[in-house]
Amino acid sequence: MRYGFVIDQNRCIGCHTCSVACKIENNLPDDMWWNRILTDGGDWVDIPAGEFPNSTISYVPVNCQHCENPACVKVCPVGATYKDADTGIVRQDADKCIGCRMCMSACPYTGVRSFNWEEPQFMLSVALGAADAPSHQKHTVEKCTMCWHRIAKGEEPECVWACPGRARFWGDFDDPESEVSKLIRDKNCRQLLADEGTNPSVYYIQ
Amino acid sequence: MTNIDNVGVIDDDFAPAAAPARGKAREAAGAKVAVKGGKGLTIAIGVSAVIAIIGIVLWGMQLSGGMVQTAMRNLDSWGLYITSFMFFVGLSAGGLIISSVPKAFGIQGFGGISKVAVMTSIAATVAAIGMVVVDLGQPARVWELFAYSNLGSPLMWDIIVLMVYLVLSCVYLWAQVQHEKGKVSAVALRVISVIALVTAVMVHSVTAWIFGLQQSHEMWHTALLAPWFVSSALVCGTGLVMATVIALRAAGYLKLDQAYLVKLAKLLAVFLLVDLYFFGCDLLTEAFPAGSGLAVVDMLVSGPLAPFFWGEIILSVVAVVLCVVPQLRTTPLLAVAGILAIAAIFCKRVQLLVGGFQIANLDYASALTPFTVTNWEGNLAQAYQGMVYWPTALEFGVTLGVVALGFLVFFLGLKFLPLKPQGQE
Repeated sequence: MRYGFVIDQNRCIGCHTCSVACKIENNLPDDMWWNRILTDGGDWVDIPAGEFPNSTISYVPVNCQHCENPACVKVCPVGATYKDADTGIVRQDADKCIGCRMCMSACPYTGVRSFNWEEPQFMLSVALGAADAPSHQKHTVEKCTMCWHRIAKGEEPECVWACPGRARFWGDFDDPESEVSKLIRDKNCRQLLADEGTNPSVYYIQ
Repeated sequence: MTNIDNVGVIDDDFAPAAAPARGKAREAAGAKVAVKGGKGLTIAIGVSAVIAIIGIVLWGMQLSGGMVQTAMRNLDSWGLYITSFMFFVGLSAGGLIISSVPKAFGIQGFGGISKVAVMTSIAATVAAIGMVVVDLGQPARVWELFAYSNLGSPLMWDIIVLMVYLVLSCVYLWAQVQHEKGKVSAVALRVISVIALVTAVMVHSVTAWIFGLQQSHEMWHTALLAPWFVSSALVCGTGLVMATVIALRAAGYLKLDQAYLVKLAKLLAVFLLVDLYFFGCDLLTEAFPAGSGLAVVDMLVSGPLAPFFWGEIILSVVAVVLCVVPQLRTTPLLAVAGILAIAAIFCKRVQLLVGGFQIANLDYASALTPFTVTNWEGNLAQAYQGMVYWPTALEFGVTLGVVALGFLVFFLGLKFLPLKPQGQE
């Protein structure tokens, strides 16, 4: 199996619901975002490029690309980040991470990996999200797990379920009959930074 | 100008009872020979030990309060520590190579400074390892490197090679001392020096591969990086040996014929020119297609890293001039040339490390948090306007502590090990 996402940029309205849903589901600490919505346009979020009326804008939701050939996995000296052979999901073991940040440097997808630069702080005194959400450790690297805990229960990743514009699709690229396989066959899709040779499991419909 | 009259008693023979171990003697537990150094040396040991201890305290603060106290962030995830790591690995080269090349190839050496040179290598290697340790978020998990080694990771290669290098440097130093006592044969010493030489070249190549094998940073991803690291290492290593032996000669620790110093200076000039040549090759290859590589060259030549780029060029050129013009090859100016060469290579390390993070692959506008990038209170373009990273006072303090540790190791070596050239005891 090779689980992954297809994201329809024509449908994405930049509402950040998937980011917030991810943050709540995984009980992410303050200032930590595993899934970010980037603005392909001007210098600021939600600002288009060019002069009205000839201005352009689109949104690029970016989480871990769960590459088939991940740069991060190769460089981790202790194997704390590894590719799950059954699902193709790139995983991160916070208990094993020594905090050398080699993976953050090796990953071509700027900002996908986050480090807990201090003891994780939380806005609320109660833990949010799933009871089996991953824990967060000071001075370790973390990132999108593709909602490993939800997939294990047969559910979709939270961001897919939460998207109000239904711009996010999730499934198995190795199954030719899956929705995502059909989408990348039929639609005009691209991968981010395809020439890095990482073959990401996230495709963007343009 | 060399005055060795006021050095006090220099006793290189076994006289363990003559110098009762005191204070920091446990670091010197392996030392078989206790030599009285001057008072200055004892003060230097004390001062560097105090600074090293302050550094350890600051490191403790960094660990307890969190690395949020450094300027490193998600988009510039390495900083002064890894810059200094590269730098110290480089510094460790010169001594060992200068010492082992003449022995390995059976050619004339540099007037018996071989042992002092290797001692600088050992001290620099200790500092390099210290730099990696203070950079780790979870230093208590270091044992995992040996339990769960991912042998495919360049970082793992470097850890292995660096350890081998440190052990080998110590063995090499020991073998030289034993050889002078007639206990290790010349052949054995030569074999060890060849192995040490190969390891020295490997340690620089592997350190380069930590960076050069990452396709995600255009600036780093070049096959030239490994040979270039070797040449940079030769530059700052030779500079260090030159400055060190001049200082030791001035302090009356050893005698050295000026001719050897001139020979070192000529060698330094050649290494500097090779390093500049590699730099030129790399800049041309990046810039010529006028594609994305041009951004790297712009960043160096006229962008945020220009002070370090031009700093490296100017310092290197001045050092070359000091080394090649016979009239300028006076002892003080040669010491200056050595120090300029070291400073030039430090500028190179800053360019490489900060430059690698200065160009984002995905530079779309996004919401920034205090963890995203050092200068997060604006947009991404503003964060990259100046240098994306500048260390905090804590990072400077911890780095200074590790540097002091390197000096401490070197001074202890001077005090307790028989490092003087043979026949000068």
